[in-house]
Amino acid sequence: MAGFILKRLLQAIFVILAVTLIVAFAIRLSGDPAVMLLSGGGNVTEQDLQNIRQALGLERPFYVQYLGFLRGIFVGDFGKSFMGATPVSALIAQALPATLLLAFVSLLISIVLSVPLGIYAAVHRGRWPDQLIRILSLVGLSFPNFWLAIMLVLLFSIVLGILPPSGMEGPESFVMPALTMAIILTATNVRLVRTSMLETLSQQYIMVARSKGLRDRVVLYKHALRNSAIPLVTYIGLQFGSLIGGIVIVERVFNWPGMGSLAFDAISNRDYPVLQGAITVLALFIVLINLLVDIAYGLIDPRIRTE
Amino acid sequence: MKFSTTLKALGFTTAVALAPLMAVSAQAAGTLTTAVAIDPGSWDPIDTFLVDWSSAANNIFDGLTARGADMKLKPGLATSWELLDDNKRIRFKLRENVKFHNGEPFNAEAVKFTFDRLLGEEGKKGPQQSNYTSIDHVEVVDENTVDFVMKQPDPVLLTKLAGYGAMIVPPKYIQEKGDAYFNTHPVGTGPFKFVEYNPKVNLVLEANPEHWGGAPKLDKVVTRFISEANTQVAELQAGRIDVATLIPFGLAPTVEKSPNLDLVSITGPTVVSLRFNTKEGITKDPNVRKALITGVDRDAIIKAVLLGHAKPIASFQSELSFGNDPAMKPVPFDLAKAKKMLQDAKVPAGAPVRIDFRGNDATFREVAQATAGYLQALGLKPSLQPHEPPVLLNDIIPNGKTGEAWHQAWGGWTFDYDNTAYLMYHTGEKWNPYGSDPKLDALLEKQRTVYDVKEREKILQEVARYVADQALELPLYNQNTIYGVNKRVKNFDAPADRRFRFTETTVE
Repeated sequence: MAGFILKRLLQAIFVILAVTLIVAFAIRLSGDPAVMLLSGGGNVTEQDLQNIRQALGLERPFYVQYLGFLRGIFVGDFGKSFMGATPVSALIAQALPATLLLAFVSLLISIVLSVPLGIYAAVHRGRWPDQLIRILSLVGLSFPNFWLAIMLVLLFSIVLGILPPSGMEGPESFVMPALTMAIILTATNVRLVRTSMLETLSQQYIMVARSKGLRDRVVLYKHALRNSAIPLVTYIGLQFGSLIGGIVIVERVFNWPGMGSLAFDAISNRDYPVLQGAITVLALFIVLINLLVDIAYGLIDPRIRTE
Repeated sequence: MKFSTTLKALGFTTAVALAPLMAVSAQAAGTLTTAVAIDPGSWDPIDTFLVDWSSAANNIFDGLTARGADMKLKPGLATSWELLDDNKRIRFKLRENVKFHNGEPFNAEAVKFTFDRLLGEEGKKGPQQSNYTSIDHVEVVDENTVDFVMKQPDPVLLTKLAGYGAMIVPPKYIQEKGDAYFNTHPVGTGPFKFVEYNPKVNLVLEANPEHWGGAPKLDKVVTRFISEANTQVAELQAGRIDVATLIPFGLAPTVEKSPNLDLVSITGPTVVSLRFNTKEGITKDPNVRKALITGVDRDAIIKAVLLGHAKPIASFQSELSFGNDPAMKPVPFDLAKAKKMLQDAKVPAGAPVRIDFRGNDATFREVAQATAGYLQALGLKPSLQPHEPPVLLNDIIPNGKTGEAWHQAWGGWTFDYDNTAYLMYHTGEKWNPYGSDPKLDALLEKQRTVYDVKEREKILQEVARYVADQALELPLYNQNTIYGVNKRVKNFDAPADRRFRFTETTVE
């Protein structure tokens, strides 16, 4: 088991290294931050650009900048933003909780919606409630999330005027962004719950339970749901990772002060340290969750360990 | 919004369920909320060159001079000034009994500190220093008098003292608290003082009742950072922001149609033209260039593509720009005449005209397409070449690799023709890859030494006329500055340069 975990850890380190290298390299191709910073000015000379590059540490060779950034990861210092010199770690400390909270609430809503709906569909397999739920989930899957977000804003903020169109101010601010994410998640999760439930319901021990004369409700919730929950939990763990990655657009539409907005603005402003820091932290997060899921799998199923 | 009734019906149940959360849109009385796209990250005047910085910070700080929404220069922290020693020295009389928000007195020392900092090591790290290098140093004459000793003449300096890097900062506060603290806790002498700053969320200011210009009528000004135009408009429609600054042309009709909003569309600093390659291709011939200018209907482009939110121009400047000559009129559109001119210049049918432009500028893409349409009607073979902006600005243009025409969009906050003209027409400048004209050079150099306003204006107007005579570019239009404003805002004096000053503004 220790060897398995070690192997997975080494893989994780490799992934993080690759991600940071690609990000650090790619953003440097996209334009000169000194030119961006000076774009409002009139009489800009090459010397002015040089001064700024020097102040930002951009005149050093790429490998020096990259190694400095790597060293920073280990001590938790991602450098300072090019915009106003705020430490990147402070910006991330502010943005990460906002994103995690939104992701968590979205996932929670999705679970609350998809589990009962999935069970209901499985129980009424082939009949109209099942068909309806499956059609609805297909519709939900086909929504582009930014379109859904804009439609929600139109309805709740502009027509009805009951929800704030953007920002993170109170519980009411969570409704639309979390709903946008949850609707799309629910669409997949409903299908997962349904399939998993159907599989379990066809098992022999369910037949045994039924033939013992147990009531339907006991069979369903005590025996079937528990067993079908195993694949569900692992899947949702993985989903949490990709959810954080996919949150960028929703955060942007709702001006959510999270990691997605932070990374997006950093790209527009050529703010290298902020982008590198944000992407690294997001990558770390996703790798960590995958690692935990892998380890959990290994614990449950010995065959995976020897793979 | 035809489908709004259906939506209402659909949302009714939800509305009932969410009823306890109502009244989120109510705005506090006496508080004005604006939205800008970018959080500058630092409120220190020498750290940024963002218009969004100025939209908020112009309320916190004062300069020695000031400029109103009409772009006219007026006294700020200096009450008067005079030129001494053959224009090598500018003497400013300072306003007396002015205090910074922290109680520190404003005096000659503060002015000296501000400019020592801007021109010294601290300023070197930021983008502002380059704008003020004509100043050698500042000397304190007495408590309320300072001398600016000039390294070289700079007639635009008085305008530049009205904003950005020249805003006066408190010496003691910065020395005691340090630069990093000042970045996020700014202190100035302006009509509003700092309350709190939440990075990427908002900046909150409250009225400074002791301001030398009189107490502001508002209690609070909140600046929110919203980088998505659709979101700014949604917030505006929901009544949660009063002034939105990010309104693309496409969203202007939405604002116009909203019953609670006004669309304010005024002359702005940004000017757009197609510059010509005067070295190669058919545009080498000035008569061909003149034919191209005559053959493109700029009024129609303004109407159709920019939905009227722009004005035709005769030179590369807005009508508010110093150096603009109202007597100069744009070349009128005349397709038949343009065709004839091309014939006279012996341009073969199907001669290529390539237009290089910034690929991320969606509006200009449409303008370029429309222009290409007119060029086609002239019997030419136009092609459009979009580029990544850094590639276009750092390689294609400065290295003279453009096609027959290229996209130039620019506007300086100083509203002085010199700001762009020198860099676009003087020999050897980055934005002038093809031209070398001793006469133009001489005019451009001369106006930089002339402090007499009338005389300098005449020289700049001569530059504009000369450029038009040589047909160095096809002047397209001057883009408007657009704001979305809630109707509850009164006495909002919309500034062309987006540097708000909310002293007289009120909200209902």
